Amino acid sequence: MNSNNQKIIINIEDSKYINWEIDLKNKLKMLKSKNLEIDSKNIDFSCTDISKIIAIAYQYNCKIIGFRSTSPKTIISSQSLGYKSEFIIESSSNNTSEINKKNLTFSKTQFHQGTVRSGEYLESLGDLLILGDVNPGAKVSAVGNIIIWGRLLGIAHAGCKGDFKATISALQLRPVQLRIAKKVARGPKEKPQLGIAELARIDSDEIIISPLETT
Amino acid sequence: METDKRVILICSGKGGVGKTTLTANLGISLARQGLTTAVLDADFGLRNLDLLLGLENRIVYTAQEVLEEECRLDQALVKHKQESNLSLLPAGNPRMLDWLKPDDMKRIVEMLKEQFNYVLIDCPAGVEDGFKNAMAASQEAIVVTNPEVSAVRDADRVIGLLNTNAIKPVQLVLNRVRPKMMANQEMLSIDDVTDILALPLLGLVLEDEQVIVSTNRGEPLTLNSVNSPAAKCYLNIAKRLQGEDIPLIDPIKESSGFGAKFRRLMQTKIF
Ligand SMILES: Nc1ncnc2c1ncn2[C@@H]1O[C@H](COP(=O)(O)OP(=O)(O)OP(=O)(O)O)[C@@H](O)[C@H]1O
Ligand SMILES: [Mg+2]
Repeated sequence: MNSNNQKIIINIEDSKYINWEIDLKNKLKMLKSKNLEIDSKNIDFSCTDISKIIAIAYQYNCKIIGFRSTSPKTIISSQSLGYKSEFIIESSSNNTSEINKKNLTFSKTQFHQGTVRSGEYLESLGDLLILGDVNPGAKVSAVGNIIIWGRLLGIAHAGCKGDFKATISALQLRPVQLRIAKKVARGPKEKPQLGIAELARIDSDEIIISPLETT
Repeated sequence: METDKRVILICSGKGGVGKTTLTANLGISLARQGLTTAVLDADFGLRNLDLLLGLENRIVYTAQEVLEEECRLDQALVKHKQESNLSLLPAGNPRMLDWLKPDDMKRIVEMLKEQFNYVLIDCPAGVEDGFKNAMAASQEAIVVTNPEVSAVRDADRVIGLLNTNAIKPVQLVLNRVRPKMMANQEMLSIDDVTDILALPLLGLVLEDEQVIVSTNRGEPLTLNSVNSPAAKCYLNIAKRLQGEDIPLIDPIKESSGFGAKFRRLMQTKIF
């Protein structure tokens, strides 16, 4: 087998003692393989971070072919930049109690795979992560944030217990109606820009939609 | 469980989109291919599968008498005049709705499965008890819809229910397709529909006046007018159901002049 075709998975870590950039560089130094998949555990990467990782890998003659992560944010970011992305669900049996404590809010995250269809209603006490489309006529709501790895065409309500800092993000944000905390907005009329994940949040008392990258 | 026996629910959510017409024509087409087929009218409230098949005047017993053990199954089954492989099990009277349970439907279908290769269940519109009873007895489903926003919305609802009840596979038939209107973007495109519903497309059926003529005559289109546009579509659906790889209708042949436009309308987006 040609080593060029081999795929190597590297984990990167981020802690008080080591910064993920340093960790990544250290690991890249020791590698000969060109094709890499990054396992970023539970680090939240923005699109900017993902771009940075790509650039660093490039300096070391390596090519990133995909990401895996337990962080919904990382998955959305890498997916929206066109990388193969694999969302890893933390299985409770592997969780040390330390991780559980650290991710108290994360553990309340409700995860749904598949299309949410007309007439269906999904609710979450924490964040809500959906891998699939939310179709017209469907409704999703969460006490925390809503992240949709797919198209939002129905109704979404983030921060439904009043958290006005909650956000709604989706690969395509074309809902009938958006709600964040007590704010209600009708979905935008313009066609979405393809390939750019978008995020809705409250800014000076209005719900605004912007590309996910700017946050 | 016999793997070669198939129990298929034909449903839609919205009413009047063409479930009964599809059931009748699919029944005829499958029977003609030599497969023993039973069509079961599960629309107890508004039965009309017997009408479409021209069998109304031959009904003596119905599913009701079979369930109440007042007659045997073969006494209630009505064999089609020309296609002897096809039989209809008529719906009982609407009062059956008061007591019919999912288990009753299962019992009926189990009996039919012993004798037939295919059992097609003509489902009532809506997502209430009538639909739920019929779904309980089914293994797979065909969802019928029209290229209209409201029909697609209701189909989506039904697909959600089918999925949670582990009905598999679920396939889509898009009925009353008008190439001209689609090309002019006056109708949802095929992509618009499949995009939302995310189901494999078992087939398209063109809008065809002959459908109405044949309905009134009690002779499904596929019985005699096999060359009408819709009849070809129904025949293709029957073949695809059996795993034959038949491309979706050839627009150039089916509606001459639409060739290029039709191909384009596969891509037009409306919402
Ligand atoms: N492809 C077609 N072209 C033209 N007319 C059609 C077509 N398909 C169905 N129709 C017409 O639409 C009407 C409704 O069809 P059908 O009774 O099969 O629908 P259904 O879904 O069974 O309705 P219900 O929900 O009331 O049971 C009928 O008058 C039929 O002739
Ligand atoms: Mg009907």
